[in-house]
Amino acid sequence: MATTTLTPAATTYQTGLYAWLTTTDHKKIGIMYLINSFVFFFIAGIMALGVRTELAQPGLQFFTDLQYNELFSMHATFMIFVFIIPILAGFANYVVPLQIGAPDMAFPRINALSFWMLPLAGIILLLGFVTGGTAAAGWTSYPPLSEDRPLAAIGAGQDLWIVGLVLIGTSSILGAINFLVTIFKMRAPGMTLFRMPILVWTVLVTSVLVLMATPVITSALIMLFIDRNYGGSFFDPRVGGDPILYQNIFWFYSHPAVYVMILPAMGMISEILPVFSRKPLFGYKAFIFATAGIGALGFSVWAHHMFTTGAVYLPFFSLMTFLIAVPTGVKMFNWIFTLWRGKLSLNPPLLFALGFLSMFLIGGIDGAFSASVPVDFALHDTYWVVAHLHYVLFGGSVFGVMAGFYFYFPKMTGRMLNETVGKLQFVVMFIGFNLTFFPMHELGLAGMPRRIADYSSTAGWNDLNLLATIGGFTIAASMALFLWNVFVSLRSGAIAGDDPWEGNTLEWATTSPPPPYNFDHLPEIRSERPLFDVRHGRTAAH
Amino acid sequence: MSSSPRNRSSSTITVVVVAFVLIALAALAVVSGTGQAFVTGLYPPVAVTEQGAKVRDLYTIVFALAVVIFVLVEGLIIWTVIRYRRKPGDDMLPAQTHGNNVAELAWTIIPTIIVAFLFVISWQTLNEVDATSASAQTRIRAVAGQFQWQFDYLADDGQTVQYTQQLATGDGGGLYVPAGRNIQLSLTSQDVIHAFYVPQFLFKRDVVPGRVNKFDFKVDAADAGQTFRGQCAELCGAGHRLMLFEVHALAPADFDAWLADAIANASATPPPAPSGPATPSGQPAPSGQAAGPTLQVSAQNIAYEQSSLEAPAGTPFSIEFDNKDAGVPHNVSIHKDSASGEEVFKGDIFPGPAQKTYDVPPLPAGTYAFVCSVHPNMTGTLTVK
Amino acid sequence: MTADSHALVTAEHTPIAGLSHDRRGGISNPVLGMLLFITSEVMFFGGLFAAYFSVRANAATWPPEEFHGTLQIFPLVGPATVLLILSSFTCQFAVWGIRRDDRTAFLRSMTVTVILGITFLLMQGTDYTALGSEGLTLSSGTFGTTYYTLTGFHGAHVFGGVIMLSVVLYRGMAGQFSARHHDAVEGASLYWHFVDVVWILLFSLLYLLPGR
Repeated sequence: MATTTLTPAATTYQTGLYAWLTTTDHKKIGIMYLINSFVFFFIAGIMALGVRTELAQPGLQFFTDLQYNELFSMHATFMIFVFIIPILAGFANYVVPLQIGAPDMAFPRINALSFWMLPLAGIILLLGFVTGGTAAAGWTSYPPLSEDRPLAAIGAGQDLWIVGLVLIGTSSILGAINFLVTIFKMRAPGMTLFRMPILVWTVLVTSVLVLMATPVITSALIMLFIDRNYGGSFFDPRVGGDPILYQNIFWFYSHPAVYVMILPAMGMISEILPVFSRKPLFGYKAFIFATAGIGALGFSVWAHHMFTTGAVYLPFFSLMTFLIAVPTGVKMFNWIFTLWRGKLSLNPPLLFALGFLSMFLIGGIDGAFSASVPVDFALHDTYWVVAHLHYVLFGGSVFGVMAGFYFYFPKMTGRMLNETVGKLQFVVMFIGFNLTFFPMHELGLAGMPRRIADYSSTAGWNDLNLLATIGGFTIAASMALFLWNVFVSLRSGAIAGDDPWEGNTLEWATTSPPPPYNFDHLPEIRSERPLFDVRHGRTAAH
Repeated sequence: MSSSPRNRSSSTITVVVVAFVLIALAALAVVSGTGQAFVTGLYPPVAVTEQGAKVRDLYTIVFALAVVIFVLVEGLIIWTVIRYRRKPGDDMLPAQTHGNNVAELAWTIIPTIIVAFLFVISWQTLNEVDATSASAQTRIRAVAGQFQWQFDYLADDGQTVQYTQQLATGDGGGLYVPAGRNIQLSLTSQDVIHAFYVPQFLFKRDVVPGRVNKFDFKVDAADAGQTFRGQCAELCGAGHRLMLFEVHALAPADFDAWLADAIANASATPPPAPSGPATPSGQPAPSGQAAGPTLQVSAQNIAYEQSSLEAPAGTPFSIEFDNKDAGVPHNVSIHKDSASGEEVFKGDIFPGPAQKTYDVPPLPAGTYAFVCSVHPNMTGTLTVK
Repeated sequence: MTADSHALVTAEHTPIAGLSHDRRGGISNPVLGMLLFITSEVMFFGGLFAAYFSVRANAATWPPEEFHGTLQIFPLVGPATVLLILSSFTCQFAVWGIRRDDRTAFLRSMTVTVILGITFLLMQGTDYTALGSEGLTLSSGTFGTTYYTLTGFHGAHVFGGVIMLSVVLYRGMAGQFSARHHDAVEGASLYWHFVDVVWILLFSLLYLLPGR
């Protein structure tokens, strides 16, 4: 039958800078999210290399104590707030409207506003480096240390940090509202909630978490600001305040935040595994309930970050923390049994997804140790925690981001990333990652605390620290490969076509890149795999 | 036409990946010692306290379960990847299994039982580890500040300070405790949040200003005579990594003797006089000026403001020491050759803001280091000629 | 690059739901968006309230000795509360007005709402000055810090609400609303009711809850 399409001669994008600066198109905004996030990923990565260079050998060689404290504080701040949370929002921005058959997000102008707040916030955070010092009390900024009392070793950088984070929080909340209205109200006919792709479900749950949790940290940050600048008494014990109050309010957000940092990546994994196994996701509904369960339970565990304060009701938080392993395990098994008896094509998206599964498994098992309160008494605030958090956030989220990037780059640009370089990047990244972070389990067990610029040469930690630094530079090498792949492929990668991977979902039913407003016509939607159905003759028209 | 999955089979890549991983693991084994050390490294240190031993036992169970689960699940992943790789040219769809409710139930119920078990044994151990008793035999208060530890030995009422141990490390410094006795340590902070952490206790507890945390511990009698290292484990500022301390376990009788001695010395020493040198011979100091020059030394922000000093050889001289750090104890001590050399002079430790003049006895010509006994990172060079 | 490879079936001829109201009916996009935004605001105030409860529960006496009797319902705060509650009513009258296409009623009621909102802010500001001269400031320990933080952020939200309502009023005067299209009125009124409810809670906690 005759089809009229909106196929343009070349790319559908206006290439002018003005077009990009003023766009409200979710696809362009999504790409800008990705670019901005990667820029800050590399900045934060360089900070991490600074940390690892200083720790490679005992002795304070390159930085002063205060500079070192600034480095790790800002490394974490950038990675969490300006890289991982926004990049996942960026992928969601690009993919979700396409996956539900919508022409754009519900509020395109607010979408643009959400994005532009991010480079602004990033710059505000960086300004600390040129105004006498950034925040240096850890990304957690516990008072009284973050209130400069009594030693005013930290200056206005902490205030810039607060302002930057409030901006980012606002951007996130507006984004969450946008995603929720889009998902609830703009699905194409036939796409019931239980036919939505898993990525859309994870974005839905993530958006609920962002909506409910982020404002709470905004309140904590504002109270900290008032204490610092207006003589407030929220958290300073010398005027009747309570430092533990800050920790409770802070972690009430920051724990759900870790699910914000991983759920969309898990969503992308859940798109990739079925495509590259050529079978559907195992246990679609169970997966959704598990995700919702994780979101809900995630609000009940925050004080497991505070076990050693002596100020929390330990059994409750320990139990809830252990319980959250159950829905996580359900997802893990559902993923594995998607692969089981499939026909696996080991392209880069699948390789990174497999890396995700293995590394997240380790990170999750680490968490079980910390959930046990007496064990946590030994492991808290040591390098064990650094190992755990990087296994879930790097081994998990970053590998998930890489998987999603290799998967969606063709759709976004119309070109394929180089397969061989991609596989090489995976191998180098996988090895570098494990070399860096596995030894940290042992360092933590042996007693090396976190956040120290230097360590005693007789503590027995020298070899493992050197190994971790070698691993860190290996990761950097893998990132060089990544950048090379991106830039070369943008210029001369193979043309992708609409559907290079034989995808299951609607984003593959339009051109690469899609035209403005995404679709000229939509296939019938009868299941969670509309394109698969069309391809294999399961729609009414066949 | 482009890279659809059917054109991309990579049978060699799996082998390559596995090979790389094995090589990396081998490298890891080599660098960190033997494979044995690797496995031992996955364990916390041997505990020296009763409570720590219980934690280590708990760790063993958690660790065993972790290994089993990891091997099973990771093994499943690896096996699946090897076994179900698509053969080139195979375009047939595999069976499109959507799920299996029995499987879902199984891997919901079984993990729930496992975590419930882990929770229960953790809770039991917690009750044993975290119990504080009213019948502690020795009560000590650790006072944490930026950036040093101080230990107050308390009388049975838990309030009266019998003796204050001002140095946390070094000669004569550290937390002396009686092995085999129940010790209650209370934790107070002078400023920000710190944490008391001894890896060999498998234990740490935060020191929160505005709050007094307490915990009990008992060092095994068999470990009497040993020293354990400890360190602050909560970021507390630029000197966080410097807040080291040592725990010295003594046999009960030795401890009682040590404490009695310390109390006696503390009350025998006259109240810190403006110019009272601590000469080894115990000779009463000549009150009044020393014959030689007066050196000016000041300390602020846990650092000396001078990096090098000069003094004449063979003549007594004075040091006017200005401690500008409010609430922070400092002193000036002199060591031969370097900060780790033999101590030849030690001035009284006092908190700022205050000034004291030390009368230093004559020193032979040579290079010396002046060091703060409380904060050994504070150091400079003293040239005597 | 052609789309022949699609060979796709055209879906039933429904516009892909890009409109804020689609044929399936139900809540409009902007109103849903506002409700979600209000949810986030509830959580923000939740954090502040949690801090207040914690601070108050840990205090030996509340209010502290030096501020016994400082917070007074009359002459300003009580009447201001009444006015704010009244403004919610007038706001709802405005919504009902535009729903039945009665532009005059809508404009009149909305104007009164804006005036009442501004009056509330002025009375609050005057009260702040009075309290300041009695020695209660942001830095007056936990009592002052929590009082000003809570009421201050509430006031900021009232201010935002007044701006929002003024824009709605302006657009209404320019004839942009009708019974069929007035999402902004619905959204702004929901926000205004939220601000009012928060104040009722705040007023009860700060002024009515007995101390010890």
